[in-house]
Amino acid sequence: MSSLLPLTSRLLGVSRRLMWRAAPGVSPLLRLTPAAPSWVAAVGKKDLPGLPVLLEDELEEQFVRGSGPGGQATNKTSNCVVLKHIPTGIVVKCHQTRSVDVNRKRAREIMREKLDVAYKGELSELLVKKKESMLKKQEKRKRVNENLEKKRLFKKALAADTKPEDDTV
Amino acid sequence: MWWRRTLSRSCRCCLGCGRSGAKGIWSLRTRRVCSAPALPAGRITALQALDVWKRHFEEKGVTEPEHSSQYIIAHLLGAKTIESVEQQRLTQFLSKEKTEQVWQLCTRRLSRMPVQYVIEEWDFRDLTLKLRPPVFIPRPETEELVELVLTDLQRHPGAAETRRQTCLEVGCGSGAVSLSLLKSLPQLEAFALDRSQDAVDLSRENALRLGLQDRLKVYHMDVIKDTERMLGLFSSISALVSNPPYLFSEDMATLEPEILRFEDHAALDGGEDGLNVIRQILALAPDFLSDRGRVYLEVDPRHPPLVRRWTEDNVEGLRYAKTRHDASGRPRFCILQKEESHKDPDQD
Repeated sequence: MSSLLPLTSRLLGVSRRLMWRAAPGVSPLLRLTPAAPSWVAAVGKKDLPGLPVLLEDELEEQFVRGSGPGGQATNKTSNCVVLKHIPTGIVVKCHQTRSVDVNRKRAREIMREKLDVAYKGELSELLVKKKESMLKKQEKRKRVNENLEKKRLFKKALAADTKPEDDTV
Repeated sequence: MWWRRTLSRSCRCCLGCGRSGAKGIWSLRTRRVCSAPALPAGRITALQALDVWKRHFEEKGVTEPEHSSQYIIAHLLGAKTIESVEQQRLTQFLSKEKTEQVWQLCTRRLSRMPVQYVIEEWDFRDLTLKLRPPVFIPRPETEELVELVLTDLQRHPGAAETRRQTCLEVGCGSGAVSLSLLKSLPQLEAFALDRSQDAVDLSRENALRLGLQDRLKVYHMDVIKDTERMLGLFSSISALVSNPPYLFSEDMATLEPEILRFEDHAALDGGEDGLNVIRQILALAPDFLSDRGRVYLEVDPRHPPLVRRWTEDNVEGLRYAKTRHDASGRPRFCILQKEESHKDPDQD
């Protein structure tokens, strides 16, 4: 969990900048600053973000092939793949099948899902904050309008008091 | 609970050990006692059996003790991995028959028979293959060899004349590479050959089981001895693939018992520098390949620069294209391309 915290603050920092820069009505996710994490995929306006793109350069992979030459010289059945995403420190282990190749592919799929959750987790937090901020503004505007209305009525009432009563309103 | 049976039970293992025929040393030493634990008198659960055999493998110095017991017992429970067996089933009592099967198979593993031979199958990419000694067991690196070929064949689906893509595999073993390519490329036609009749039979059997027999032709041939026959049979091949024997002869003696005792040495030993079969394949490649067809080889990590130099010096019409590394970071694959000869016909 602790490995996610730096990610959180980075994403929040980035997105705050995005929110103020983006045109109103446009999802801040459409515009990515250069500082955004490289694995964040571009997203559609209304669609949910797609799964993050994995860059092999950002991955470290480990499995048992021994210290020798490998290949024909070794016959091992253990095929657990350990995949680490260096920028976030997220680690995925996969030994679901008897094929190393399939396990490697699945490990990457799982990694993309985990990164997506990590990203969406931050995204939901941002959305909640954004919504709160909007609600506050709405509340404030409502109160301001109510006060204005009260003042207007008050003034009207004052004006009405000093004039003779009319039948018509 | 386990100790009630007589010691004579433990000698059963010797019948399993002498399986591999001429290639293993076990057939000469039938007296050797493998000392399996006695069959339990009472009933046990799969979990308990896993534990008994894991500890026993450890005691006897059998490598991968936990994985071995897990794969064997999972297989007998109808699953590929122990993780895919329901927890509930693992804690149920095994039937008497099932327990005997566990004991029989695990005892084979005591003789260092590879798990893949014990359960007579293994997975290669998205295929399950039947396996039998002494036919060579596919290695994980070779799964990557298939990926390399697929990448290229998928990018260039075939000449404008829509001539079907064909591949030729030298040294097909169980058929893993050819069958994997056929499964992924529905339009591909494959030719495969092996000098071992056991391998030819097993490849054909696997093709049948996978429903790919219509697109695979397997030949009992030796790339060194049957050159003429081969030249008459194969031409305009899109991809020549091989995981040929590439070990150095001097390294054979240090191989683990799983390999030395049970796998065909001829599938491993590439000669003094490991390049005997590779050189032969490269020399013949231009005659088999279509223009711009490619050779894909799995090799020893020391080979790529040697292969490059030897090809440049000895094979007209074949250009060294690239070296690829395996997932462990070792140089493992050589890709070469047939190039049209640029010789001016007026010269010479």
